[in-house]
Amino acid sequence: MPLQSQTPARPQEAQHMRTAYPKNPPAAPTAPSAAGMEASRAGVPRVLEVQHIEKVYGSRNAITRALSDVSFSVAEGEFVGIMGASGSGKSTMLNCISTIDTVTSGHVLINGADVTALKPAKLTRFRREQLGFIFQDSNLLDTLTARENIALPLTISRVAAKETLSRVEEVARRLGILEVLDKYPYQMSGGQQQRVAAARAMVTNPAIIMADEPTGALDSKNARLLLECLETMNRTYRATVLMVTHDAFAASYTHRVIFLRDGRVFTELNRGDSSRQDFFNRIMEVVAIMGGEGSDAL
Amino acid sequence: MLCKIAWSNVRRAGRDYLVYFVTLMLAVMVFYAFNTITVQADFIASDTRELVRMLGGILSGLTVFLAAVMGFLMVYANNFIMKRRKREFGLYQILGMSRGQVSRVMVLETTFVSAGAAVAGLILGMGLSQLMVFFTGAIFQSQIENFSFFVSPFAVGITLACLLVVYLVSLVFNLRVVRRSKLIDLFGAERRGEQVKTGHPLVAAVVFIAGVALIAVSYARLWRDGLPYSGTTEETEAFLITTAMVIVGTLLFFFGLSGFLLKALQGVRGFYYRGLNMFTLRQLNAKVNTVSLSMAVIAMILFLAITSVTGGMSIASSMVENIELHTPADFSQTIVYFSTSTSAGVKAWAGGAETAVATEPIDVARVMSALATDADGQPVDFSRVSDDMVQVDTYDSMLPGADKPVVSLRDLVAVTGDELPKGIDMGSAEALGLAIMRESDYNALMAFYGKEQANLGEDGYLLTCDMGDTLGDIYNHALGQGAELDIAGRSFHPVIDELDLSAGPQAVSSMGSNTGTIVLPDEVVDELGCPLYNSTLIGNYAAGVTAEEGQEYLDGVSLESYDALVMNDAGQAIGTIGSRATRATMYETVSSMMGLISYMAIYIGFVLVVACAAILTIQQLSSVSDGSTSYRILSELGTSEGEIAHSVLKQQAIFFAFPLLMGIAHAIIALKVIIDLVQLFGGISIGSTVGLAVVIFGLAYGGYFAVTYLMSRGIVHDAIRVRKTL
Ligand SMILES: Nc1ncnc2c1ncn2[C@@H]1O[C@H](COP(=O)(O)OP(=O)(O)O)[C@@H](O)[C@H]1O
Ligand SMILES: [Mg+2]
Repeated sequence: MPLQSQTPARPQEAQHMRTAYPKNPPAAPTAPSAAGMEASRAGVPRVLEVQHIEKVYGSRNAITRALSDVSFSVAEGEFVGIMGASGSGKSTMLNCISTIDTVTSGHVLINGADVTALKPAKLTRFRREQLGFIFQDSNLLDTLTARENIALPLTISRVAAKETLSRVEEVARRLGILEVLDKYPYQMSGGQQQRVAAARAMVTNPAIIMADEPTGALDSKNARLLLECLETMNRTYRATVLMVTHDAFAASYTHRVIFLRDGRVFTELNRGDSSRQDFFNRIMEVVAIMGGEGSDAL
Repeated sequence: MLCKIAWSNVRRAGRDYLVYFVTLMLAVMVFYAFNTITVQADFIASDTRELVRMLGGILSGLTVFLAAVMGFLMVYANNFIMKRRKREFGLYQILGMSRGQVSRVMVLETTFVSAGAAVAGLILGMGLSQLMVFFTGAIFQSQIENFSFFVSPFAVGITLACLLVVYLVSLVFNLRVVRRSKLIDLFGAERRGEQVKTGHPLVAAVVFIAGVALIAVSYARLWRDGLPYSGTTEETEAFLITTAMVIVGTLLFFFGLSGFLLKALQGVRGFYYRGLNMFTLRQLNAKVNTVSLSMAVIAMILFLAITSVTGGMSIASSMVENIELHTPADFSQTIVYFSTSTSAGVKAWAGGAETAVATEPIDVARVMSALATDADGQPVDFSRVSDDMVQVDTYDSMLPGADKPVVSLRDLVAVTGDELPKGIDMGSAEALGLAIMRESDYNALMAFYGKEQANLGEDGYLLTCDMGDTLGDIYNHALGQGAELDIAGRSFHPVIDELDLSAGPQAVSSMGSNTGTIVLPDEVVDELGCPLYNSTLIGNYAAGVTAEEGQEYLDGVSLESYDALVMNDAGQAIGTIGSRATRATMYETVSSMMGLISYMAIYIGFVLVVACAAILTIQQLSSVSDGSTSYRILSELGTSEGEIAHSVLKQQAIFFAFPLLMGIAHAIIALKVIIDLVQLFGGISIGSTVGLAVVIFGLAYGGYFAVTYLMSRGIVHDAIRVRKTL
């Protein structure tokens, strides 16, 4: 099936890319695609707006430009994937959005508030109230049980114990991890750990849940279970999810995929009303265009 | 090349090594400084020089003991650091270094640290020892004469020898760690170590409660039994059982502590599920395997340190406080008579000389002129330094052939209804008869002291004693209640209603000379036919004789033969020459004793506390750096750095405070019992001396705690700063 998109501009870009790529990869046409996106989602409030962010690592003699002029936005209740080869700047971008790292220039707006301008004390609070995280290695505290791990963001926010415990139970039931609640991380499988991490990320009802390669360390069965969790979170709680992945299968669960290449937005794909299989095939095509040098590129 | 790796390792493992290094350095400094005491003696005015030299001998012995304890703790700390580096050694081998090369790196590292500590410690120690000369002078209340910079090769030698032992033992252990490191350690070993293997919290809670119960029972036993002073087998066995109970109890307490806290506080949901409380408790609980043993050992060592410092200094200061009371005159000379039971033994010892139990007091001045000479070789004549002397005779209340004394402590206790003081069991109370004094002798002594005369009439008595507290209280009760005593079939009543301690002394002494005397009318004493106990000539220097001149004359007195016997007119041996004391020497003895004890207390206290605190610091720092990942996660979840630091502070406060509190609790009970014993022989004040101990402990222990927390904050800060990459 050929590339299909709601916006007529995109396939052309992709075509253009395909021909141009091997010799001299051009700058990704970020602005048009972002503009196109905004047009398509007009009317839905935007939770996240990334405006021309740039991130440079290192000192004078050894500079790495991890991100250059990245812009896009995410609407409330959207499930967005970010794809790109290793080193393309995915984690850097997620960290900049999530205030774990600071941008060199540009702005990140979450619910209209510019997080790049927040003071450290406010940042901590902002992170606690607005964001949820899921990482590749589940990042659970290994001295705490699953129940306590999930409860942690709530206790940190001083939610009453009774409410904390009932909210933990409810999320755990939704994500099918009730039976592991009293186990320690080392007593759980990797998949269970990741689902506990997902539960922890969403127990506070954050504005955005950020996931950095959440399926990276999982086998396919567990990966599928986790993705279904994220889907549930997105659908039933209307949680906004931003997921970094380099796995096309994982990306096919999202509504929209933004492709990063060498620190720039390469292109983006909208799932629209197409089936997941259909979306997966389209993603694979872009991957093939971007990769060129074989499967290990992504 | 290997050298370079070793050096950079030391620098990289800096935080762990720094504490180890500083502690070793402090130990070297203190060891050196305290062992220069014999050299310091050269600067001290000659009168106390000998005593200070003697102290030097004791301190050298103590150094070896403390070096052993310190060495043990340092080896332990070193092992702790090494275990954490197993992976690193595996990595070197993967990178192609042979095991031998890794071992050599290890040897170099250990050598750098030990040599560095030795050099730095000795330099600091030399500085400290110069200052200490003045401190020593002050403690021994002596002048510093012609002071100059000094270095003691002896102290350098003994310090380096101790350090060398610590170095060699550490080296052996370190090399063993290297030899045992396997490549497999590289994979997953780090994680495995962090698993929570606490077992069931309920089990921990039970262990904790068992520990508390054992400690409580052992306290009760010690309180009831006291120390095993009489040394009987049952008493010693009971004491050993009590000791074992408190040790096991302490171990169980610390093994169960965190589990118990966890279990107990989990019950309080509102507390447990608030802020970082559950994280703090879980972290504490996760460390239980690594640290509970050392917490228990540290609690016991702190207990020893607190008890020896406080107990020793309290005893010394009570001597200082009572010295004025115990030296009512310028000098005294005592003669001790043989009792019925001793005279037989003496007969054999004195080569078959005829012995007897004296019934008539002998003139002390005359005996001395017959048996001793002065510095010029002339017979001793006390009237050359004194024109104001009195002889006091006391009688033994155990009559020949009787099975109980005429008046004993037990009789008094029976009348007053008091309890017998601890340290005196019923059996010895039978024997603890009071000394007896004639009314006329008492009045002569009172005239000498410039105090009121007593009039006993036909059936009056009074009691004297120059030791307050426990014994004094019993006598006071008896007098206050007007206790009637049956003596020789007659009833006697007290003529005073309160004990006058200043009427008590019967000789010049450092710790008191009268544990209890009953003064009876002369004719009653004659009627009883009591044997003599001792006679003391007590006097003040004449107006023209200065204390120095008097002292000089008395110092010159020497007995013609060491085992000179006191003879009666019938040519029978009736006693021996007892102690001769002057007020000046007693003051000196007491202040030197104070100096001696203060010296040792500070030395012991400082070294032990520093070693304990260092172990806690090293453990805490490594546990904080193990926790780096956790702090980062917490930060990402939106916890402020302040809150995380607060959680770390709580954990460390528990690790530092509990062993100290436990040590103090043990020490309070032990000191209570020790003081009960000491109080039998005089007053004791613990307040003033605890001050010094608190300063030593506060500075060293608190200092390590503060350093631990500040360094931990640094680690937490770095952990949070590091951006999450992957
Ligand atoms: N802390 C850092 N210091 C210097 N360079 C970094 C740092 N983190 C990431 N980089 C560089 O930035 C680029 C993007 O990294 P990253 O965002 O982790 O990529 P991805 O997550 O897509 O694999 C890479 O070239 C990487 O080497
Ligand atoms: Mg990444």
